[in-house]
Amino acid sequence: MIGIKAYGAYLPKFLLPRELIGKAWDFPIVPGNKAIANIDEDTITMGVEAGLDCLNGIDPKSIDGVFFASTTPVYTEKDSASLIATVLDLRDNIITVDFTDSLKAGTTAIARAVDTIKANKDVNSLLIIAADTRIPEPSTMWEYGYADGAAALLIAEEETLPISIEDYYSISANVTGPWKRSGTDKFIRTFEPKMDAQFYVTSLTTVISEILKRNNVEPGTVGHAAYNYSNPRLHARVSKLMKFPQGVAQNGMFFQIGDLGTAMPLMLLISAIKRPKPDAKIILAGFGDGADAFLMQIQDKKLVRELSKNHVALGYQKKMTPLSNYNVFIDNKKLLEKDRYTRKSSSVIMWRETDSIYQMYGNKCKKCGAIQYPCMITSCFECKAIEQFEKVKLQLKGTIFTYTLDHLIGGSYYETPIPRCVIDLDGGGRVLLDMTEIEKPEENVKIGMRVELTFRKMHEGAEFHNYYWKCRPERGRN
Amino acid sequence: MTRNGIKDQVAIIGADMCKYGERFDKNQYELLVEATEGAFKDAGVTRDDIDAAWLGVFYYFTGLAGCTLEDALRLDGKPITRTENYCASGMDAFRNACFGVASGAYDVALACGVEKLMDEGGSGLPGFRIFGHPVFPMPSAPAMFSMAATRCFSEFGWTKEDLARVAVKNHDNGQYHPKAHFRRPITSDQAMKAPMIADPLGRFDCCAMSDGAAALIITRPELAESYAHADDYILVKSNAISVYTMAPWYWPSYDFTQFPATIKAREMAYKEAEITSPRKEIDLAEVHDCFTITELLNCQDLQFCDRGKAPEELKNGTFNWDGETAVNPSGGLKSFGHPIGSTGCRMITEVTKQLQGRAEGRQVPDAKIGLAHNLGGAFAVCSVTILGQRD
Repeated sequence: MIGIKAYGAYLPKFLLPRELIGKAWDFPIVPGNKAIANIDEDTITMGVEAGLDCLNGIDPKSIDGVFFASTTPVYTEKDSASLIATVLDLRDNIITVDFTDSLKAGTTAIARAVDTIKANKDVNSLLIIAADTRIPEPSTMWEYGYADGAAALLIAEEETLPISIEDYYSISANVTGPWKRSGTDKFIRTFEPKMDAQFYVTSLTTVISEILKRNNVEPGTVGHAAYNYSNPRLHARVSKLMKFPQGVAQNGMFFQIGDLGTAMPLMLLISAIKRPKPDAKIILAGFGDGADAFLMQIQDKKLVRELSKNHVALGYQKKMTPLSNYNVFIDNKKLLEKDRYTRKSSSVIMWRETDSIYQMYGNKCKKCGAIQYPCMITSCFECKAIEQFEKVKLQLKGTIFTYTLDHLIGGSYYETPIPRCVIDLDGGGRVLLDMTEIEKPEENVKIGMRVELTFRKMHEGAEFHNYYWKCRPERGRN
Repeated sequence: MTRNGIKDQVAIIGADMCKYGERFDKNQYELLVEATEGAFKDAGVTRDDIDAAWLGVFYYFTGLAGCTLEDALRLDGKPITRTENYCASGMDAFRNACFGVASGAYDVALACGVEKLMDEGGSGLPGFRIFGHPVFPMPSAPAMFSMAATRCFSEFGWTKEDLARVAVKNHDNGQYHPKAHFRRPITSDQAMKAPMIADPLGRFDCCAMSDGAAALIITRPELAESYAHADDYILVKSNAISVYTMAPWYWPSYDFTQFPATIKAREMAYKEAEITSPRKEIDLAEVHDCFTITELLNCQDLQFCDRGKAPEELKNGTFNWDGETAVNPSGGLKSFGHPIGSTGCRMITEVTKQLQGRAEGRQVPDAKIGLAHNLGGAFAVCSVTILGQRD
């Protein structure tokens, strides 16, 4: 059967309380919070985090491809999937594709993954990652909705799977709303939101009705329903029109973390199956320039429960930190004109040192056994042997050996202080990493502190996105 | 035939430095002229007597190659080499000049250094964008050394007050030096309350940004007899440089409470100069105090005191200008700033004057053996020079 083998999710550290948006612009207050990516996060970094969460305990070399879905990819020429696959340390004889430009890209990627697995005997498992960081225009009501996050599903063909994908159905439709012109628009535009709302309800009910009808499924027998939305009232209208019983359609997310764009249906599905109903049928649907709907079946409740173990992101919204200040949000979105320090870079070095920079490989000395970083160093720090190294994968967690809080970045005081941490990684290897997501570093950074590595955007040197690892206070990732 | 160093084979016959400070209205050529004219006059030579020159420069606007010196002095096509070895750039210029005259290749050589740090702009050393790596963290200079401070606080129980004592002592000394950038004493309270630069190092734990130049004229001792300082030329007892990794944070067993480059350069320098009890034999030392923590650790690594005891010795006066081993009687980098290419030559100039008894207003009593020391990069490059009076 083909179905869901594993899932993963990522939510950033910070929440923006909607009250702060209302206060900033004297708007009527909308309740709840929304998730805000940190200034060093984008769809690549959040996608990597969701991917790491999903592949927890699964050999990355066993994965046959990455389908990445986003309306906010970081490049328009150059894909994101290949970079994410590299960081996740997948093989190179795999398929990497970006699905983009439509809000339903997340669900479309799932459907195309099933097609690919069915059609290609060499492809048995594909990692679907959806991530978005849609930037609302300041002082518009859109600020209440657009939020940041990422979700991942591992679609595989195996004899037993926790959840099977039984059927899927799509429609395509062309309407101009909402849109963002490439190269011209910084923010998403709309023409007539009421028409957009009607279009949303019609599209979703069309695909969901069809998939229920052609599989002879009564709406009352659906156990879980997950479909994206940016307005709780419209979500309720779809649920009502589809005659889903109370509690079937997942509807708490907009209130808690906002509209995650392409990642939202996947995130809703994940939060639904956290508490799986036995033998439940699941409806998953995505909307945007048409719609996709899936019928899924819980094969084994116990296996689904197993899946929910060891996920940092599940329930993480309860640990997220509300921002105390609207301006931090505007700054994180780089909507403030500010001088920023840009380093030099070299795409040649970034490629040549893929193992150290992206994949956190280190060296193990064949003579003395010392594990050290980075890979391009040719001689052993400890026994001085030259070129006696074998490559070893380093662990993404460790303990601070020493640190400082650096107030001087490139000779100026930008975005400071930055904690610079010398970390002894579990299992060996010592690295120097900046710390991110740390509140009150003067009080909270300490020798002996446990940290996790997190993939982040460093700077825009040489006019491309430069990524590397930072550390963060432990979230509890395995 | 094996040669073992240059002990007593090189004599310093002239030394001087320009006024250190924010010399916005002067360029690198003018500062070099100011320093070299002083040194020429001191030695009783002219530029025509110079056979070859070495020049320490680190930063971009001060210039590449040896041309900065040529454009200052017009040495008529004579050999000039620029040396760059982080904060030891100036002392490495001196070291190479020593080899030039000791080998007999040249009779009289000029070793000098200059840096127009203020021309680079910014707060703190600006140039980390000119070297390094695309994405690995490149901590600021204070951040590098503060990682050692954090570790020493944890290992030895040192405190911010211990660091402040270094700043207080050096600024105290600096007030008596006419060429120093800062000539005002400070209080411990001032130092401890200053804004953070890189935790736990505050503003007074860091040396300032300054412009400066210094120059030395050297020759062989037998030739020194015919120059101005025939009776009190200064002999080079040893000159060592040690280079370690520029990224000590990747070194799995490194403890961050000592500087391997200082230890190695010290071993080489003491051996050649036949120093066996440094604390007793060395009367004064110009020790690299780019940051207060650097001076404390260097005093230990140079064996002026036991490991972990530097703050206690400092508190007891061991390193005062009239203490057992005077450390930075000039006021150090804390009072002069650190115009990188010049600092090594500035220190050697200072030690020379002290050993000649010409350090007016700040003379260390009975100074016979002096040491100059630089440590640069992320504790990567260390240079130690030991000087003594002529027989």
